[in-house]
Amino acid sequence: MTVRRFHIVMMVLVILAAVLMPATVAQEPAEIEVWVAFDDYRLDWVNEVAAEFNAMFPQYNVVIAGGRSYETMFAEATVAAEQGEQPAVIHYFEAATQDARDSGLFKPIADALGDRTEVNGLPVDLDDFIGPVAAYYTLDGKFTSMPWNTSSAIWFSNMSYLEAAGIAEPPATWDEVEAACEAIMALDNAPQYCFSWPNHGWFFEQWLAQQDALFVNNGNGRDERATEVAFNSDAGVAILTWLDDMYNKGYLYYSGAQGGDSWATVDQAYQTQQIAMAAYSSSDTTLYTQFGIDGGFTTVASFLPYNDDTGWTGNLIGGGTLWLTDGLDPEVEEGALTFLLYMTNTENAASWHKLTGYIAIRNSANELLESEGWFAENPNQTVAAAQLAQSQVTPATSGALVGGFPAIRTEITGAIDRVLLTDDDPAEVLAEAAEEANIIIEEYNLLNVD
Amino acid sequence: MISPLPLVMIAAAIGAALLGFAFVRSGVRWFLGLGLGAVAGGAGSMLFMIPLDYCTFAAERKPYEAEFGFLLVGIGMAVVLIPVGWISLRLLRGESLMSTASQPTQGTFRHWWIAIPLLAPTITILVLFLYYPSIETVRLSAHLSRLGAKREAFVCTTNYTRLVENSDYLDVVIRTMYISAAIVVLSMVLSLLIATMAYLPIRGASIYRTLLIWPNAISPAVAGLIFLLIFNPLGGIIDHVLGSAFRLGWTNDPKVAPWTIIIASVWKSMGYNILFYIAGLQNVPKDLIEAGAIDGAGLIRRFTHIVLPMLSPITFFLIITNMTYAFFDTYATIDYLTPGGGPLESTNTMMYQVAQLGVFGERADLGKAAAQSIVLFVMVIGMTIVSFRTGGRQVTYGA
Repeated sequence: MTVRRFHIVMMVLVILAAVLMPATVAQEPAEIEVWVAFDDYRLDWVNEVAAEFNAMFPQYNVVIAGGRSYETMFAEATVAAEQGEQPAVIHYFEAATQDARDSGLFKPIADALGDRTEVNGLPVDLDDFIGPVAAYYTLDGKFTSMPWNTSSAIWFSNMSYLEAAGIAEPPATWDEVEAACEAIMALDNAPQYCFSWPNHGWFFEQWLAQQDALFVNNGNGRDERATEVAFNSDAGVAILTWLDDMYNKGYLYYSGAQGGDSWATVDQAYQTQQIAMAAYSSSDTTLYTQFGIDGGFTTVASFLPYNDDTGWTGNLIGGGTLWLTDGLDPEVEEGALTFLLYMTNTENAASWHKLTGYIAIRNSANELLESEGWFAENPNQTVAAAQLAQSQVTPATSGALVGGFPAIRTEITGAIDRVLLTDDDPAEVLAEAAEEANIIIEEYNLLNVD
Repeated sequence: MISPLPLVMIAAAIGAALLGFAFVRSGVRWFLGLGLGAVAGGAGSMLFMIPLDYCTFAAERKPYEAEFGFLLVGIGMAVVLIPVGWISLRLLRGESLMSTASQPTQGTFRHWWIAIPLLAPTITILVLFLYYPSIETVRLSAHLSRLGAKREAFVCTTNYTRLVENSDYLDVVIRTMYISAAIVVLSMVLSLLIATMAYLPIRGASIYRTLLIWPNAISPAVAGLIFLLIFNPLGGIIDHVLGSAFRLGWTNDPKVAPWTIIIASVWKSMGYNILFYIAGLQNVPKDLIEAGAIDGAGLIRRFTHIVLPMLSPITFFLIITNMTYAFFDTYATIDYLTPGGGPLESTNTMMYQVAQLGVFGERADLGKAAAQSIVLFVMVIGMTIVSFRTGGRQVTYGA
């Protein structure tokens, strides 16, 4: 009897619960899709930050999707936009800036913020971003995309090899690199090659900027829309000639991989100590320092060596920013904006820098790291920021803005590939690359400029 | 500048002459041939020219673009004239359109329209996923079209003529030929050899056979990754196995890199070939081989004179499928082993270039990629026809 009554009571309760459920359960959180062009430990960091964010703001659900490289993500995002399935936030690299701007698919951060000083309780302080970063992504006077991972090209040296060869300091110029290589390759336990670099267009741009030479016309596309490339200059030829010389002397290791796929080949060569030095992005300072600790040698980071004949003007920034899609549901846009502010707040900017080596993009984050004694303990982590801080700001060192930039980079890496692997004249090869790049710009402008 | 009207009239005259001649030879009334030929020839000449708006003959175009235009007019005429002539001739002579072999002998439908609902699912899928994309590819190939761009621009046949102007493309075609030929030949010869050995009555033969076939289950991308671990120029497994004497730039030397692709692709496709060859070997009658042995034929003679001819239908089938694999399915293997097409583009094949140029690469140039994919399509069709005409005759389908 009592058992039966218990059953009846339970049934009534279940029915009541079913009836009342819709009223009591909280609203479905708004889903905010974020695409990030990483697939390694950096993606894990973003996932952790998103999990924290989702716990803090239960009304939103940030979903992160990772990608193989900037280049593939750029292509995937283009297809997604075509099909009307663009995520709320896309992570684009610096070379996609002009394309993203022309596409009309994105809303400037400044417009989304309006004149608010806080969003969902998170402070908006755009002045806190360090100078070169704010300058690069402020277009037409508007803060356009949210800076996140910013780097510069620097130089890593395996000091065990350098010291064994009697070199105390990492080389600062191209001639010093050659001299160091001569000494290192003469060692009994010499590595297979002296140095390597990712055959990525970004390094050509860095070496061009160091010589204060433009990549495209019209003030690197910053005075007016770029209509032609300008890299086909003495400065450009000098880069190809130097690389070819180093390759022919057996100093330079070239994996044959180009663009986004080239990074990992340099990691592997440096980690396994098959090379003594590498030009690389400061984005992986932490990793390269760790390679040394794990492999029993010391990694020292230094400025990217420059051409002795033309001197050093400065280096460019690189890396990616986060673009907010236009025309989102207001609730989703608000959530995306909140997430962008959260992801780049002082604490996260500092933890991101520590994890990777990307520059701490906020002044407040730098102060925090300074007060923790981080920079004093990790001198390698100060190199990229110092290199940018000492750079003269000219149109050349501000970096190029040009449509079809990612495709132009492929022409550059193809030209370098040809110069290294054949006896073709660097000037001729670069001229041909320039011709093809001009077609890319012309076609891009024809299809996209009103 | 050549205006459309005389062009159509010349085309109509040629069509009339051709069909009229054909009709006379077949003993059908010649004036019917003249009339049909004139209409079909004129219409055929417009097949490509109406969508292109006769742009190849415009005054500002280069001379070879006009030549390309004449070629298109000719192809269009052939495409219309041949079927029109063939069908009308058969109909006029009272023959059926179907060959006797393919005519049903029993169980025909009472009404002809019953076939339509039965065919509808297949036709829907073909239209959506094959015919519509094909037509769209042809349309794109006459445009400057970039993924994500705001608009398209009509560029006439520039996407095609640029390929002729550019000697790089000829290199890509030649490279595709030799990489594909090497994959097909090596893979099939090795597979036949291994299949013959795996078919021997040895202990655990079924385990060997299973192990030999499993690479077929691996995707081309994974095959690329596996071989990257083996052939990495710095610290790859093969350097450890072979020692420093054999230190080749497996993926970064333009002379060696295509062979790395060939080796990986051969390994990947061998499982499939072995599977078919083992099945084929099981169908070779034992008594035939025994008869050969009694007649004093040695092992090699028995193989070349009995087994090989008995396997010829499978060999022919495998040549076609392997050719398709080598042309179209090696994309992912190339992308993982030598991303971007390798040093000096030494592993950049026609299919890889189409995918890179149009979709996966940074250029996202749909128009040029569409033109190149049509060139590739025509080439593969041509090669398939050639192999059916030449190889198909050598095949014995029965004892």
